[in-house]
Amino acid sequence: MTTQNDMTLWDMSLANFNQAADKLCLDDGLRQVLGTTKRELTVHFPVRMADGDIEEFTGYRVHHNTTRGPSKGGIRYHPNVTLDQLRALAMLMTWKCAVVGIPFSGSAGGVTCDPKRMTTHELQHLTRRYTTEIETMLGTDYDIPAPDLNTTPQVMAWVMDTYSMHKGYSVTGVVTGKPESIGGSRLRTQATGLGVRMVIEEIARHLKVKLKGARVVVQGFGSVGKSVVESLSSMGCKVIAVSDSQGGAFNPRGINPQKITKHKAEHGSVAGFRGAARVTNAELLEIPCDILIPAALERQITADNAPKIKPRLLVEAANAPTTPEADRILRANRVMVIPDILANAGGVTVSYFEWVQDLQSFFWEDKEIASRLRAMLKRTVAQVAAAAKEQKTDWRTAALMLAVERVAQATTLRGIYP
Amino acid sequence: MPGKKSPWDAAVEQFNIAAEKLGLEDGLRRRLRNTRREITVHFPVEMDNGKIQVFTGHRVHHNTARGPAKGGIRYDLDVTLDEVKALAMWMTWKCAVVDIPFGGGKGGVVCNPEKLSPHELEALTRRYATEISDWVGAEGDIPAPDVNTNPQVMAWFMDTISMHHGRTERAIVTGKPIQTGGSRGRVDATGRGVMLTIVQAAKFLGLDLNGARVVVQGFGNVGSYSAILLRELGCQVVGVSDISGGVYNPNGIDLDALRKYVKSNKVVKAFPGTDAVTNMELLELPCEILVPAAREDQITATNAPRIKPRILAEGANGPTYPEADLILRDNGVFLIPDILANAGGVTVSYFEWVQGLEGLYWSEEEVVTRLQRIMDDSFAAVNAMAQKHRIDLRIAAYMVAIDRVAETTRLRGLYP
Repeated sequence: MTTQNDMTLWDMSLANFNQAADKLCLDDGLRQVLGTTKRELTVHFPVRMADGDIEEFTGYRVHHNTTRGPSKGGIRYHPNVTLDQLRALAMLMTWKCAVVGIPFSGSAGGVTCDPKRMTTHELQHLTRRYTTEIETMLGTDYDIPAPDLNTTPQVMAWVMDTYSMHKGYSVTGVVTGKPESIGGSRLRTQATGLGVRMVIEEIARHLKVKLKGARVVVQGFGSVGKSVVESLSSMGCKVIAVSDSQGGAFNPRGINPQKITKHKAEHGSVAGFRGAARVTNAELLEIPCDILIPAALERQITADNAPKIKPRLLVEAANAPTTPEADRILRANRVMVIPDILANAGGVTVSYFEWVQDLQSFFWEDKEIASRLRAMLKRTVAQVAAAAKEQKTDWRTAALMLAVERVAQATTLRGIYP
Repeated sequence: MPGKKSPWDAAVEQFNIAAEKLGLEDGLRRRLRNTRREITVHFPVEMDNGKIQVFTGHRVHHNTARGPAKGGIRYDLDVTLDEVKALAMWMTWKCAVVDIPFGGGKGGVVCNPEKLSPHELEALTRRYATEISDWVGAEGDIPAPDVNTNPQVMAWFMDTISMHHGRTERAIVTGKPIQTGGSRGRVDATGRGVMLTIVQAAKFLGLDLNGARVVVQGFGNVGSYSAILLRELGCQVVGVSDISGGVYNPNGIDLDALRKYVKSNKVVKAFPGTDAVTNMELLELPCEILVPAAREDQITATNAPRIKPRILAEGANGPTYPEADLILRDNGVFLIPDILANAGGVTVSYFEWVQGLEGLYWSEEEVVTRLQRIMDDSFAAVNAMAQKHRIDLRIAAYMVAIDRVAETTRLRGLYP
């Protein structure tokens, strides 16, 4: 038997999918269709570096599915980007879009590179050339990238500009997460954190739990982690520990979000924040708390550390932070896991709003976006809660079942070409 | 074979040898030994029993600096991305050797076509064509037949893309039946190319082809036309084989009678008036011209010392092992490498594409004349490179090809 350590991210996603497919009694053909990606593109491309040398980079773009609409998914720049990982993230996006009911399917992309060692100029050239190479797979009605690990609104602006230059006119809807001045949406940068907060509020209402003063631990202080810390602090929760790739800071009396943001800006990390104890990322996950929010990388909670992780709620702001084995342990310990495809869906939902606004060239105010987001997440939480109850299953399986069923239905309705 | 290299590793190694001899700069080396893009698709086909089966297909563009990618589509259970990549790279060099304005591509679907009904094969082809349609096109990538794909498959491919576009796409795929825009002279194109390079080699070596003894391994399309066209020049075909084994007559084989015989008996085995030989024995028969036109890996370090024709023309792809190359060379065998010898096929594919673009179809005579010019020029360029650097024609052919692609890449510069 494969242990979770041999399991790739794709294996993990497939295991989760199969569990939902089993419960749905999905027929074999549909299982094959939904259990594989639709297309995977690998590109090798040259970039002239600042020193004049030509370096070759490898990039990918994967469409898992396009049945419910254009595919949607991030672009990540990281030395560890692999095709396997992107397949998993693309599949996750299919389910995420389906569970919140937006007319998108799933994709993911990335370039194997170390952006921390590249100049802005090199990063721009890499982005423009990568965009050119994957251009046949992009389009407002085809596939719409967004920021992910180490990619920013600036990178999205370059993607949009490159694509637009080739078309000869501005195509704002080809990518989301853009700066507001070129067709970005209000609230997009805070969207994931805002969504996490709304989901937690809805769940607290369902479970009749008080959130005021609840102790919160957040792993990760990138754009998602930061927005989560801000949103939860503003609703009265007490954030007692945060971390980033350099390590974490823990203060049982609470951490001030503005001050730690300033500290990170000055020192490059949250570690060493005044008045807080230094903890490692691994230790941070085991700090006793009411709500634990992994908001960093995949596969942080495994069979090894899961027995020591006992929050009331575990809210997956990151994608795929929990392995299937860890899931079972957490369930046995009565930890309620709010799965990634529900917990962090605020991000893609506001990305969807950005796309809609680009299509109509009419832009919404904060209030309109927040209320539409609230309505969608509220409806989704209610549907997942009902499904979990009806199927007597955990929320991950319930959410996946809803998603898989929607995609399967769309596939059956459309039929098989030719 | 212990530790046999993957097809891609072998292709890169071959490239590295030639790049080294050319003194190619580092950046370009990195560029040219990578593919440009590799596409993997997974797609469903509704089978005759009503069940859905998901298939895996690939399409790789190794390089498009000199023009649209060109390369076959194969249907086989052994199709892997690694192999498709290697074959795509190989197409880049092949098109550059004969100096036609194409880059290299290749594709395939993992399937067993023998177990598919015609209807399933058509549905699979149409869906595969749909899935890779963003990457194919008369100006982007032009597929062709390969292992287990034929003119009918190409017609389905062309029809699918044409239906999507709402107009007939004449130049999107080659190897089509004549009635759907195929070229005259394509059937015997590869065999004719083999013959033409042999003529040039004989001229260079001062070998009289009249009465020269010819042995051909493989009696499929390439082997049979090579044999027939060489006989027309006065050669004497003494040995021929197929998967059933070989036939030998030192006084010459009646090819017309043999073709009739094969038509009714399917194989050359037991053809009257000949002695039976195995495929391996056949390669060692005394002759002036040997044409392996069957499969890869036929001539190894083991049998190479006993294989001594004046000219060896590789009608098949990769029939000779690298170690065998050295032995043949030491024995004074003049080897015309596959990349040059069997390039007649892709050259007439190129003609088919040109005819599709202009909508004007050439006579067979025009095809033959233009093919001869291209093969003669290519042989001259490769042979000149070989004589200049005192190397064999195989490395010389790669050097000619890589040099041409490199020069185009330098001229086009680096985007953005």
